[in-house]
Parts: sequence; structure tokens; C-alpha cells
Amino acid sequence: MKPFRRRGEDVVARLEPAEARIMGLLLDQLEQLLTADADDVRGDPVVARLLPEGHRGDPELAADYREMTESALRSGKADDLATVRAGLPPDGGAVRLDADQAGAWLRTSNDLRLALGTRLGIEEDTEPPEDLSSEEGQQLAVYYWLTGLQGSLVDALVAGRAGRR
Amino acid sequence: MAGPLAPERTPDTTVDEEHDLDRPWVTIVWNDPVNLMTYVTFVLQELFGYDEPTATTLMLQVHHEGRAIVSSGPRERMEHDTSRLHAYGLWASFQRDS
Repeated sequence: MKPFRRRGEDVVARLEPAEARIMGLLLDQLEQLLTADADDVRGDPVVARLLPEGHRGDPELAADYREMTESALRSGKADDLATVRAGLPPDGGAVRLDADQAGAWLRTSNDLRLALGTRLGIEEDTEPPEDLSSEEGQQLAVYYWLTGLQGSLVDALVAGRAGRR
Repeated sequence: MAGPLAPERTPDTTVDEEHDLDRPWVTIVWNDPVNLMTYVTFVLQELFGYDEPTATTLMLQVHHEGRAIVSSGPRERMEHDTSRLHAYGLWASFQRDS
């Protein structure tokens, strides 16, 4: 991977073929989770993290909030996901994003990190994996790869904001 | 500080939270181990228009104290702010200011 960097008004990165394929698989899994029947994912900690409670401690206020906001939150995630998928070169290669597309990549890569991080029980002091032969080691490696990708995107967008001043 | 003979104040449980107009509502961002510090700072600037030092101070408060109030005002606006933070995956909630 060549991490995101600023190129004029856009941000650009380059993904290896394997990275692009992994990203595609992760997008599919996120979509499945977000479009799953509510009964099938009730109590799933990842869904609870992606569509969180708005009020802690008052079930009525929390329910009102959910009723008012959840469908917009879901459709925003679906739109972002479609934008990322459209800009992802399926066999690897250049990714070039304008400001709106970059916002979608930022939110979706964060959702992927939240989903993986929740599944893996990531804590503040979790270290990158040393053993890549185990399934958990590989998933942790994907999590840290996503962290690098998203971190570079944030840095590139911050650099662009500073440049506009 | 009240002396030993002062009547103990009983909390007023009859006041409906909805109708207690004295205290404003707030939006809180909670610490979580996944969101990057740079990302949280970026989102606070993007959504609330905070300058970089203000956003960084709030982010560090979230990181070190576990939570920070990022906006305050009427309930409807705090619900809206919470939903905008949720769209960016920040762990946020709204409540009556305590």
C-alpha cells in the first residue's frame, strides 16, 4: 500500500491487489451486517457499536432517539459503502478521492475498524500481532492495516484543510 | 457544608426530566479504544467548527477522563449533534447536564 497523500484538491493512495480484495470482502461483510434482519443480529455487539444508544439510562429517550435517527444513520452508511465500493479498484491500483468521496472512505473505514475492533476485543494497549499463522493474528493484522489506511487519510485531509487557510 | 442538625435534603424525584428547564442538555463523547486521536480531533473540527487547539483539548479530555462534553443546548439540538457524531462512528450520547 502507498498510504493516502494530498494531490491538489484530491487525496490519492495505491492498494496492492490483495489489499483491494480484502477491502472488498470487508465491505461485503459490513453490508451484510447492516442489512441483516433485526432479529438475527439482536444483541450483536458490533451492531450495537455501529448503531449505538443515543441516551444512556432512559430507555424511553433512547427509543425515541433510535426511532428518529436510525434509518438516516443506516442509509448514510449504505451510501458511504456504495461510494467506497465504486472507488475501490477490484484488482488493486490507484484510489483517487474528492472531498465527498474522502468523507465516505473516512466513515466507512472507521466502521470497519469499529466492527473488527469490537469482534477482536481491541483495548488501548493491544499490540500488532506477532503470530500471523492464527486466524486471530491475521484479523488483527487487517485491523492494523485499516488503521494505517484511515490514519493516512485523516492526515491527508488535515493537511488539505491547513493548505486552504 | 451543612451541620449535623441540618435537615437532609431529599432528592426531588417528582420533577420530570422533560420539564426541568433550568439545566441545559449536553452531548457527550465517550472514550473508546478504536477511534484514532487524530480522527476524533478531525471530526470535532468538522462537525462543530472548533479550532484545532479546542478540538485537541476536547479529544484529550475524552482520552484521559473517559468523556467530554462537546456541545450543549436544547434537547433537540443535542439529539441532532449525537446523530451527527454517530454517523462518524464516535461513541456519543445526549443527556441532561448534571
